[in-house]
Amino acid sequence: MNIGLDVGSTTAKIVLLDNNEVIRSKVVSSHNWKELLDTGMDEYNIVSTGYFRKKVPHNAAITEITAASLGVRYHIPDAQVIVDIGGQDTKVIDLLNNRFMINDKCSAGTGAFLELAAHYFNIPVESLGRLHSRTQRSAQINNTCGVFAISEMISQLVAGYTMEEVIHGIHEAFAHRIAQMIPPVEQVVLIGGTVLNTGIVDAMEIILGSTVVIPPNPQIVNALGAALYKNKSIPFKNTDILEQNPR
Amino acid sequence: MTDTIGITALIPPELIYACGHRPLDVNNVVPESSLSPRSKLCAWTALWRELILTGSLDIDSLVVVAGGDCHNALVDGQKVALSGLPTHYFFYPFDTNLRYLYSQLESLEGFLGGIKDQEMFKYICGLKKKGLALEKQRVNDNARASDVFSALICFSDMQSNPYEFENLIDNIPHTEVEYSSRIALIGVPPIYPDFHKVAEEFGLHIVYDELPYEFIRLGGNDLQGLAKSYKNYSFAGPINNRINFINNELQKRRVDGVIHYTQFACHHTLEDEIFRDYLDYPFLTVQGDLPGPTPEQLKLRLEAFSEMLEIMA
Ligand code: SF4
Repeated sequence: MNIGLDVGSTTAKIVLLDNNEVIRSKVVSSHNWKELLDTGMDEYNIVSTGYFRKKVPHNAAITEITAASLGVRYHIPDAQVIVDIGGQDTKVIDLLNNRFMINDKCSAGTGAFLELAAHYFNIPVESLGRLHSRTQRSAQINNTCGVFAISEMISQLVAGYTMEEVIHGIHEAFAHRIAQMIPPVEQVVLIGGTVLNTGIVDAMEIILGSTVVIPPNPQIVNALGAALYKNKSIPFKNTDILEQNPR
Repeated sequence: MTDTIGITALIPPELIYACGHRPLDVNNVVPESSLSPRSKLCAWTALWRELILTGSLDIDSLVVVAGGDCHNALVDGQKVALSGLPTHYFFYPFDTNLRYLYSQLESLEGFLGGIKDQEMFKYICGLKKKGLALEKQRVNDNARASDVFSALICFSDMQSNPYEFENLIDNIPHTEVEYSSRIALIGVPPIYPDFHKVAEEFGLHIVYDELPYEFIRLGGNDLQGLAKSYKNYSFAGPINNRINFINNELQKRRVDGVIHYTQFACHHTLEDEIFRDYLDYPFLTVQGDLPGPTPEQLKLRLEAFSEMLEIMA
């Protein structure tokens, strides 16, 4: 049995894998991570990941980037690019070219930006997707800085745009920001907390011009990847120099 | 009289020693600095400027690399010049023109008061040979990259005392290194003094440091010899020359992956896209700003890169 334990900044997840089949999974808040471990579990079988990966029992600890690559490939073997939008950062993993990028310097392309916007409207962040779908018109938000984008939102409300239109605009600004990190591909796999926001998924599909795919149980995909680590599945392909497209 | 000559980027140290002075690479004190500089773009130039203007760096004059380095260094060099410190501007030719570089070296020699000790050329050449031997040692896995890097980076000025410096490089330990991947580090050197040690902790053996390698491979025994060699200083010339040179080094050193270190507000960051297109290796770009211990976010990138390379292997 292989155990994947993903302890992030807000939630902790566990996946138990037997013969490559998920036999159990569970999600709790991060500070309750101990609830995930039963007495019978052997530390030798645990591969941890997430922010606290080195602080919890483990035999091996792997980064979220490797865990996401393995977990996504389990469900989508031909995945090309993974976009993991977290609360504090956004990671783009290019599986075709063995490269990854992390934006952790600017809040504009992270979940924190959406939280800020929801907080301004005094609505739960989960309702952003529903409000987005109520309109097709969007208030343009140009600013690439999360904080200044809020001032721009206010200006657009003053200019007469509705809250829904401003939210539409925010999702587009967010998608534009992330698009700068994503290489041109046909299909992008989206994971992380914001996958439940259908507004983001819509905006990304339009702006990237790629199909956005969400794996089943996206919340546990990194824990699944950690559990798979012992199997040493190969998530990265070697690229042929001739496939490169130098300018 | 022996003066201390501050240099802002690569200036042939053999010429400064032959003219009877000692070079001091003003960048080499930056990683240990804890100053918060005013009006800052790149931390390298802002910090050496502040250290000079506040009198923390004791130099008698400054040679600014004005052609073949960057405008941040040129502007901060001029701020130092405006404070009254004797300053000379040195220009590398972009087109590797030998005659032009020779005339620049002649004018630098004039600023330094003329060559007084021809023997210093030979002595420094001998030291650089030792540097190349050290380089070979780490490529052959017989020395830690962190030890070799800390020696190579000082070849720009030989720590202002070549005899003591020779002692230091003679004592770099022979160590059989174990690692999971061989790495080339291109771009400007990281501003974090522990960067190579951190990379080692994640199993990354850095077998090529682009800029420090320039410090040891270029040299000469007179102005003509210097001009012939330093015209190939890859950072000052066209990027396609640099790409060809790097690609050759990567092959020779059998690297598994490339890390491109970029500095906040540095024009070299714009080269990242070009390198990604023309160097066909797993590629990681990292960026630094102010000096200090390697930040956790950067460590995460190194760790993930190491895992990626290991899984690929
Ligand atoms: S890092 Fe870039 S901006 Fe800074 S001194 Fe070097 S070349 Fe200039």
